[in-house]
Amino acid sequence: MNRNFDAIVVGAGPAGSSAALTMARAGLKVALLERGAFPGEKNMFGGVLHRLTALEDIFPDFWNQAPLERHIVKKALTFMTGESSFNVNFDTEVSDRTPYNGYTVSRPKFDRWLADEAVKAGATLLNRSTVDNVVKEGKQVVGVTLLRDGSELRAPIVIAADGVLSFTAQKAGLRRAQFNPSHLAVGVKALIDMPKEVIDDRFGLVRDQGASNEIVGCTSGVRGGGFLYTNYDSLSVGLVLHLSSLSQGTKTPYDLLNEFMAQPQMAKLLRGGQLQEYSAHLVPEGGLEMVPQIDGDGILVAGDAAGMCIVTGLNLEGINLATQSGVIAGQTAIKAHQEGNFTRFVLRDYRKLLEKTYVIKDLRLYRRTPQMLHNDRIYRQYPEFVCGLMDEIYRIDGTPKQSMTKMLLGAARKTIGLKNLMADVYAGWRAL
Amino acid sequence: MKINLDEIFDYTSFSVDREAHIVLESDQCTSCDQRACVVCCPARCYSWDEEARKMTFVHDGCLECGTCYVVCRKEAFSRWRYPRGGFGVSFRMT
Repeated sequence: MNRNFDAIVVGAGPAGSSAALTMARAGLKVALLERGAFPGEKNMFGGVLHRLTALEDIFPDFWNQAPLERHIVKKALTFMTGESSFNVNFDTEVSDRTPYNGYTVSRPKFDRWLADEAVKAGATLLNRSTVDNVVKEGKQVVGVTLLRDGSELRAPIVIAADGVLSFTAQKAGLRRAQFNPSHLAVGVKALIDMPKEVIDDRFGLVRDQGASNEIVGCTSGVRGGGFLYTNYDSLSVGLVLHLSSLSQGTKTPYDLLNEFMAQPQMAKLLRGGQLQEYSAHLVPEGGLEMVPQIDGDGILVAGDAAGMCIVTGLNLEGINLATQSGVIAGQTAIKAHQEGNFTRFVLRDYRKLLEKTYVIKDLRLYRRTPQMLHNDRIYRQYPEFVCGLMDEIYRIDGTPKQSMTKMLLGAARKTIGLKNLMADVYAGWRAL
Repeated sequence: MKINLDEIFDYTSFSVDREAHIVLESDQCTSCDQRACVVCCPARCYSWDEEARKMTFVHDGCLECGTCYVVCRKEAFSRWRYPRGGFGVSFRMT
């Protein structure tokens, strides 16, 4: 095998394959490295892929081309306690029309498809290739070595799209070795088999319509939340737990997931399902604050490796940012080849171009959100408050009622405290 | 419906490498005041025996999430890397 390429992409996930596809289409000789036996084998996420605007030029009818499970038409937010749940549902026909707003997908299928598209465009996919180190000449990154046999691959530019821990970026000196645990959350997920007809009936769906549900209050007070997504004939159910909070408690992620799945309302939705797979992954939830240096001499960083993830409590965006950053990293590499200059003075265009897109703009807009979400009351008191209030409003027990305003204030005073409530509303308003 | 980690090999596929991708210097764990790995690891790879004051680590059922790498306070890993290409966890449906 010839070991010299025009570009090396580390990681055949959404960011890496988007970069490889972009460069291969422009005629560059690209090596796309994947540590799994196939792309997607190591990848896991909650399950909702948002609309990928960055790939719409390449895949004009994406929804007919990509392997997708269902397109999302129903979105729900649930406040949950041990016995109760209060749902806010948004169900719209608009999301039933193309271009769809989001989909559930299976990563071993989706990531494999996207990498195969890069291969069709001319990229060389090298599976079972874990990168061990970067090769440098002076300050300039000029290649990588593989763990398999210590062999070396060379290219004037390396794109690190090797996921949240990005050892490639670390070894190139672009991020510190130590992570701040408060910037990361662990996601755990159970994939549950269920016949399509049962899912359709249970969630009120037809054809390949899908539902997504985010849940707060289901984590025994650990900061984080739950999710429930409908795949074609399976459900994805899981939790995302902030490491700095999880580490302070006594319950493990699987204990918490088991409690969540046994909560009465959840148990009804999961009834009859069969557990197919259990998986876990880290989520970079630190927002703009955790974004490392993303350009260096001969190297760019994209996707989760660059901490590009937006969490607002209602949406969790990652793959759309990954593909956008991958495409722009690819375009920057093409430009560097045209100019024959791979130093950071050319590659810093990557950051400049990203600044003009929603990727950095949204990260900046929501820069205060991660801090706002580090508020234990959101996960403990608020679900109790909401469910307690609804119970009081609906309950008929033969005693005279109070006005609803009085009930609301009384419940707020009892569970949250009025001062805290005002502070939280202000923090939420500033952060969102 | 319950995740039982005693049965993890029944529902999540692995191609276990005999050569461990994570090497823990468990002497370090004795003086750790937090041992967050034990509660945070989603695959129960870490177990602390309070009586023997000993940490045991197994890499077989590791889901390669990186949680231990992030929460360890003692820099107790003499090696923390992903498995060699083709080895380790293999998600099929997720």
